[in-house]
Amino acid sequence: MRRLPRLGCALALLACVGAATLAGEPRSVSEAFVTNQTDDSLSVVSLADLKVGETLKIGGKPAGIAMSGDGKLAFLTSPEGKEVVVVNAGARKIVRRIKIGEGPLGIAAHPTNGRIYVADWYTHKLSVVDPLAGTTVAEVAVGDSPSGVAVTPNGRLVLTADRDSNAVSFIDVETNARIGGVTVGERPFGITIDNDGARAYTANVGSDDVSVIDIATRKVVATVKVERRPYAIALAGAHAFVTNQYTSTVSVIDLAGLKVVKSIPVGDHPEGIAADPAGKYVYVACWFDNVLMRIDSDKLAVDGEVAVGDGPRAFGLFLR
Amino acid sequence: MVRALVVALAILALFPVAASAHGPSRQKVTETVEINAPPDKVWAVVGNFQDMSWHPAVAKLEGQGGNDVNATRTLTLKSGGTIAEKLDAYDAAKMLYKYEITDVDVKVLPVKNYSSSLSVKGDGGKSTVEWKGAFYRGYMNNDPPPELNDEAAIKAVTGVYRTGLDALKQKFEAGG
Repeated sequence: MRRLPRLGCALALLACVGAATLAGEPRSVSEAFVTNQTDDSLSVVSLADLKVGETLKIGGKPAGIAMSGDGKLAFLTSPEGKEVVVVNAGARKIVRRIKIGEGPLGIAAHPTNGRIYVADWYTHKLSVVDPLAGTTVAEVAVGDSPSGVAVTPNGRLVLTADRDSNAVSFIDVETNARIGGVTVGERPFGITIDNDGARAYTANVGSDDVSVIDIATRKVVATVKVERRPYAIALAGAHAFVTNQYTSTVSVIDLAGLKVVKSIPVGDHPEGIAADPAGKYVYVACWFDNVLMRIDSDKLAVDGEVAVGDGPRAFGLFLR
Repeated sequence: MVRALVVALAILALFPVAASAHGPSRQKVTETVEINAPPDKVWAVVGNFQDMSWHPAVAKLEGQGGNDVNATRTLTLKSGGTIAEKLDAYDAAKMLYKYEITDVDVKVLPVKNYSSSLSVKGDGGKSTVEWKGAFYRGYMNNDPPPELNDEAAIKAVTGVYRTGLDALKQKFEAGG
């Protein structure tokens, strides 16, 4: 009788360690890599003091961004250059340019297998790319004009928000095959998966709402109305934070009740949004006003900002 | 000589310079005007979503919903075209409203996905009116014709803002 609880503890501990390993050790982040589309550049922002260190010339109107599982590489999409630009994040150096498709936009990095997943707006495909070799491993046909891309924390699935199909595609990482899809709101753009890999959230530009997807059953379990032209979503603590481009606000959704509990005024045309792993702060790139704003996720208010380059989009997970 | 030139031009026309195939990226325009008048007085003129009589290019406005979010208006221009717009946000305390174009022919205004904000700031007897627009060019595919490229879109929107803001200034300051 006494051994069972101990065994339970040991198993629970193992499960915890296992989960943490699978999802990658939760790291703290110290920098934001902000893609400035109009300025053709990348601003490296120190999060501790909200200051821009380096600004790297990128070219090709950079928009999307992802970080490697270890945070050492940043992957930028340049839709006009039709390429992914690989940046050595610590050295602030461009190490490779990889030509991909006709209009690469959304991008996500796998937590462990080293690959990146790049959505192409015009070819309607998801490219599976080995960024170190610079080769495309596979091309997966998804819905029309895929935009946002996200990988589940366990690394088994990739989800794409297929904007012009009003749907999300599910891609199996093992086989690089599309294994299913689910219809969401109109014109889904950003897609974000929670830390448990249980739910995905899409920001639906056309219907001004957020679709909440149960990943296991591939069903929409809720639709939450936000404001005009929602772009992307970050998750921090008990809340989802949604950028509304046309109303210059961030809608705060209570994840338990799936209701909007606050609308936070931010800069003009907020777009890319990401939370630090601890969920203390949420960072928002404001495209029109050329600032990166910081939201305190407890106070649900902006508590700092820093000027970046012209036209920041930071579409993706841009913190490291 | 002339014949050779004509042939050369014809060949060039057959093989246009290989333009890099890409879609458009969003453009932005910001125009401001300083007016010697108190902000609340200026806001009283420009802050009504259902009244664009201060803009010289607008002949008529038909709208619904007042200054509530999702209110609509259709502007008929003196040149004959129409622009349908929707109110996205309205903040009287901040003297700011945000709207978007829901329908316009690119021959009237060569833009797509246009969103905008109009605001009044200032204190005492001085105001600054700011008009900001975000939009794509009128031709969403590659290789736009000149009248539908980025420059044409920026020029057209800048022209609309400048005409309106300059007329507004004159309205308050004329004879002053």
